[in-house]
Amino acid sequence: MDFILHDKETITEMLTSIGINSLEELFQDIPADLLLKKLNLPHGLSEPDLLRRLEELSRKNKIYSSSFLGAGCYYHYIPSLVDFVINLSGFYTAYTPYQAEASQGYLQAIYEYQTAITRLTQMDVANASMYDGSTALAEAAIMATVAAKKKKIILLEGIHPEYVEVVKTYCWGQDIHFEVVMEDALISKLDESVAAVLFQSPNFFGGIENITELVQKIRDKAPKCLIIQVMTDPTCLGVLKPPGKSDIDIFVAEGQSFGISPSFGGPGLGIFASKQKYLRKMPGRLIGKTNEINGEREGFILTLQTREQHIRREKATSNICTNQALCALASLIYLVSLGKTGLQEIALQNFQKSHYVKQKLATIPGYQILNKKPTYNEFLVKCPNVHELIEQCKQENLLPPLMISKYFPDMKDIILVCVTESNSREDIEKFIHAAEKASNKNIGGN
Amino acid sequence: MTSNLTLIFNKGTKRSQHNFIPEMDIDKVDLLEIIPSFFQREDLPLPDIPEVEIVRHYTELSRRNYGIDSGIYPLGSCTMKYNPKINEVIARLPAFSQIHPLQEENQGALELMHHLSEMLREITGMDGFTFQPAAGAHGELTGILIMKKYFENKNLKKNKILVPDSAHGTNPSSAKMAGFSIIEVRSNDMGEVPLDHIEFAMQQGDVAGIMLTNPNTLGIFDRQIKDITNIIHKYGGLCYYDGANLNPMLGICRPKDMGFDIVHLNLHKTFSTPHGGGGPGSGPVGVTKELISYLPDPSIIATEQGFVCREKTNNSIGRIKCFWGNFGVIIRAYAYILALGAEGLKRVGQISVLNANYLRVFLKEKYHLPYDRICQHEFVLSDRGIENNVTTEDIAKRILDYGLYAPTIYFPLIVKGAMMIEPTETESKASLDNFIDVMNNIYNEAKTNPELLKNAPLNTPVKRLDAVLAARNPILKE
Ligand SMILES: Cc1ncc(COP(=O)(O)O)c(C=O)c1O
Repeated sequence: MDFILHDKETITEMLTSIGINSLEELFQDIPADLLLKKLNLPHGLSEPDLLRRLEELSRKNKIYSSSFLGAGCYYHYIPSLVDFVINLSGFYTAYTPYQAEASQGYLQAIYEYQTAITRLTQMDVANASMYDGSTALAEAAIMATVAAKKKKIILLEGIHPEYVEVVKTYCWGQDIHFEVVMEDALISKLDESVAAVLFQSPNFFGGIENITELVQKIRDKAPKCLIIQVMTDPTCLGVLKPPGKSDIDIFVAEGQSFGISPSFGGPGLGIFASKQKYLRKMPGRLIGKTNEINGEREGFILTLQTREQHIRREKATSNICTNQALCALASLIYLVSLGKTGLQEIALQNFQKSHYVKQKLATIPGYQILNKKPTYNEFLVKCPNVHELIEQCKQENLLPPLMISKYFPDMKDIILVCVTESNSREDIEKFIHAAEKASNKNIGGN
Repeated sequence: MTSNLTLIFNKGTKRSQHNFIPEMDIDKVDLLEIIPSFFQREDLPLPDIPEVEIVRHYTELSRRNYGIDSGIYPLGSCTMKYNPKINEVIARLPAFSQIHPLQEENQGALELMHHLSEMLREITGMDGFTFQPAAGAHGELTGILIMKKYFENKNLKKNKILVPDSAHGTNPSSAKMAGFSIIEVRSNDMGEVPLDHIEFAMQQGDVAGIMLTNPNTLGIFDRQIKDITNIIHKYGGLCYYDGANLNPMLGICRPKDMGFDIVHLNLHKTFSTPHGGGGPGSGPVGVTKELISYLPDPSIIATEQGFVCREKTNNSIGRIKCFWGNFGVIIRAYAYILALGAEGLKRVGQISVLNANYLRVFLKEKYHLPYDRICQHEFVLSDRGIENNVTTEDIAKRILDYGLYAPTIYFPLIVKGAMMIEPTETESKASLDNFIDVMNNIYNEAKTNPELLKNAPLNTPVKRLDAVLAARNPILKE
């Protein structure tokens, strides 16, 4: 299978017509000693053989009937029309819409995406997407240091540990000073030299910050410091106060929860939004509305491109070129499919169901809920016997919660539980039963 | 204003039910017991729109958008080839699309990436790969950070990097993000990199190396590539290969053999994964043996017990993205390579170059070809000699009127009024002939009816849009 359309005769005819004797002669510029003798790869496969082979391979991964794992990647129901729309040829087989007049469909869709994100977040402007939540956060940090003309940022404890790592890598690239601090030490660390404070809410451990209070504290101590909020599951915005109403300067999020399948953690979607005053410092593409030069109609076009690498080269605000357009489209379709009513209901169900599990676990001997702050769909639990709980979950065909020691080796016996609307009552009862069994075993066995 | 512009937000008839949420099947408590009211939002300005309206709206929008399934998409440097449909099916197999990045039972996913990495090693000659980068530019940043770390470890202060003037904008921009300053290298009149400039720059002692794509953005294979990489290595530097133009090299010539130390590939170009209107992509980075320990964390290793994930290696630049990379894209590239096999891939290399040269030879009869020699996957025309002040943009817009897509324009920057044309291997002779006819017609129209070009396009959903107005008065949302 090679998707090439010429037969032998056509190839000969084409070669002859351009005065070339053989296919090999096309590579006359390549020094002979650089030409590859043989590509050591297997023969090609027919479509059915390929499908069989990959189905077999995929079966080495396990899929569970229900998941209690989140930690940056979430199971939410995806309406069928999301996949239907992103599979339309005009969308998924297009390139970046450089020729606006032949790309009005995509440009309008991404303009709608920008609109949906600003309405959801109440931020002034949103870009056309970044790679994912972690790189969006790193780019936000860099943008803040440029806007503030300072080379130091502070991260509040509670940001997804992998995001922290990514920010650290990006900061090292640009010699940006980087520090992670505990909440009670934050104010003492703040001074004139700090470009930005980054925090996650709901944070990695599930806790929802009192953002109004946090922002006030930061503004009082360091009025010029930018404040950047990140979240990994923005479905909570169906209920929670949006960042734009809390005076947040830059808001970023992982948008995978909005209609994108988990797919082993990628592709996801980097949501990026900011206050208007930082617009020209923003990374990434922006779609704007304009008019025909000689006409009445309005249309859409890539705009403010002088921020971007293809025009400004090393002076660009970021190197990003290809982004996650199709994922932005998926999330737009998700948001408009659910609509206001649906998104509110999703958030409510996540609050209610995780609260239910939290309450139940708290009554089982040996379990202790560690969050002091309110939580959304994730929370931290100290367990009597973590390994047994994980084992019991697997036996019930449930994807077990995260053992937090993966990221924080000192935090033993603690799990991060995620409960969403996708967990049915039956799944939830199974999970609680698994927790009870693990508890009994511990008390009985040892 | 026309009905064209009705946004989805203005489409709602009221609907009473929402279809995509399961029935609440547990006992609720008062929400205020869970979350205080001052944490809650007051309103949510999103409409409720019925499914039927949504499907019609986006079906209509998709019709107003050109894709590779519509016809030739000759955007130079973008390798817009056909996207095999089977890959969409495979990426959606539940045991790929529904797996969590932190779940333990992931052997299928790790094996897939490990095997793809082996095949990419064979294709490029490199010794190790990471799949974390989400696109080409992200791969460049990763690769240049590897250079940075390499010299930091050696305690050498090398903070400059050579980038030819023909390079893609992401190259200098990525190098800058990794903390380097850029020395621009002027291409010579053959479109190649002058050796004496490189030698001189490397003698200064503070240059880390070079970023190159070969064939370059003019579509020209730099015949002195081995000399270039030798010079860089002679002074202890590293050579970075921008693999955006790898398509014509498949089965023909390998970056490692050219002397490169670090490469990134664009799976969303060379390996047929759909570009999706601007992404998602995947930009795996390959390195030589000496640099494997610098690749981002975590890495996948094969052991007797199966594939395992190693969280940290001593020299690693750290993490560059959360989780594993754009796995959904990686699957499609894997399927593509398995489907084509060794012969198929080589055929891709050959036919992509045949198609480009076929267009080059017939188009240069009328259009100016500034670098007039054999090309690889693409070539660049200029607007020189086009009459009546007709510009490259006018020509591009007129191409849209014929129902085709335009080449990349005004890039590379070293050709004035550039039109960069890359047909790829998945166009038929008839399609190429049609493109030639269209270009020739337009050439004649420029002579006889220039207004037609200056007012183009006329047959698209909107006429030519005002980019200046858009930037002067940005309207970015409704
Ligand atoms: C030569 C070259 N280098 C790098 C890139 C950047 O790749 P990406 O858009 O995937 O970031 C491109 C793509 O436009 C390119 O053509």
